[in-house]
Amino acid sequence: MSIDEPSLARLMAASQRGDRAAYRALLGDSGKWLARYFARRIAPHQIDDLVQDTLVSVHRKLATWDNSRPFLPWLAAIARYRWIDMLRRQRDEVELGEGDAAVGAEDEVVHARLSLGRMLTLLPAGQAQVITLVKIEGASIAEASKICGQSESLVKVNIHRGLKKLAQLIESE
Amino acid sequence: MTNASIDDLIDDLAGELEPVCPRRVARGSLWVAGGWLVGAALLLWFVGPRHDLADGAMMPPLPLLAFWLIVALGLSAAWSALRMGLPGVGRDYSGWRWAGLAALALPFSALVMALSDGHAALEAAHPENGMHCLAQGVFAGLGVGAALFAWLKGGAPTSPSRAGWVVGIAAGAAGATIVALHCAANDMMHIALWHGLAVALSGVVGRVLLAPLLRW
Repeated sequence: MSIDEPSLARLMAASQRGDRAAYRALLGDSGKWLARYFARRIAPHQIDDLVQDTLVSVHRKLATWDNSRPFLPWLAAIARYRWIDMLRRQRDEVELGEGDAAVGAEDEVVHARLSLGRMLTLLPAGQAQVITLVKIEGASIAEASKICGQSESLVKVNIHRGLKKLAQLIESE
Repeated sequence: MTNASIDDLIDDLAGELEPVCPRRVARGSLWVAGGWLVGAALLLWFVGPRHDLADGAMMPPLPLLAFWLIVALGLSAAWSALRMGLPGVGRDYSGWRWAGLAALALPFSALVMALSDGHAALEAAHPENGMHCLAQGVFAGLGVGAALFAWLKGGAPTSPSRAGWVVGIAAGAAGATIVALHCAANDMMHIALWHGLAVALSGVVGRVLLAPLLRW
């Protein structure tokens, strides 16, 4: 595996010239790098989807890498955009009342808490609590409402506002 | 989804690969220059240059200062917008904000002048005396706005809302510089209000209309 900046930059430059073998190697290495990048940011069951979305974006935006600049900051910018996009979609799902799907296995809770923990400390307590309950622990809106004593509509509003603020925080990082 | 499906996706993407020409900010700058020239040629062809310039005279000092402040804002905003098309974590796109802060000298100066001469301020603020400059400024900036939008549409702006603002401000400032070549008003209140409003209005239009179209 050659996930180091000079190797990736060389593979990317060859990919821009149309070298398919180099491109295959680049996407493989990028996929592994992205999986590690997202592992600290989202729940494990969402990682593969987000890696695939990001690889498709890399493919579509191949010409936007300037070969006089390093490759990994470019890849990280594409990855961060896709991540924010996912947060926005989750926020929109909350608006549509579809944001209460369960998350799944127990160990995912720990990982997701680690990934978003620092960001959540930057949100008001009420927003952080409902995002943790619904988006990480998989509680329904009704369950979260009972646990934290907020009305169901307030839970939705707090998730919506919290995810919006999270997206802004990530964008400004 | 599994690693096998990621491998399949990689095979598909590699199979579709064609050589690409890396995008260069220098090429985008030419588009922007072309957009400014088209806007200027159209506006000046329709309404003509200001008479003193046509006679070979210089602009008076204050309108000239306002002109260069708006030029600086337009150039820095256009440069930021062009760089936004080539993403990279850690890149700074905020240079235009300093030119924006400097350009705020115009409305502040106009405000001070308005406080000392309310009658002249009311006269300058009358829509009949400036609405045409606002409309012409927004219209003349469309060339630069279209060039930047096309550049960013093919690029990868990672904050479409910020990109929308900056494209709008660059287009409005470009339009305001073109209007300054036509509008013979030397009154700072008129320039700050109506020419400045073209910048602000274009910025809002960019944020509202362009930002959703710049998502990818």
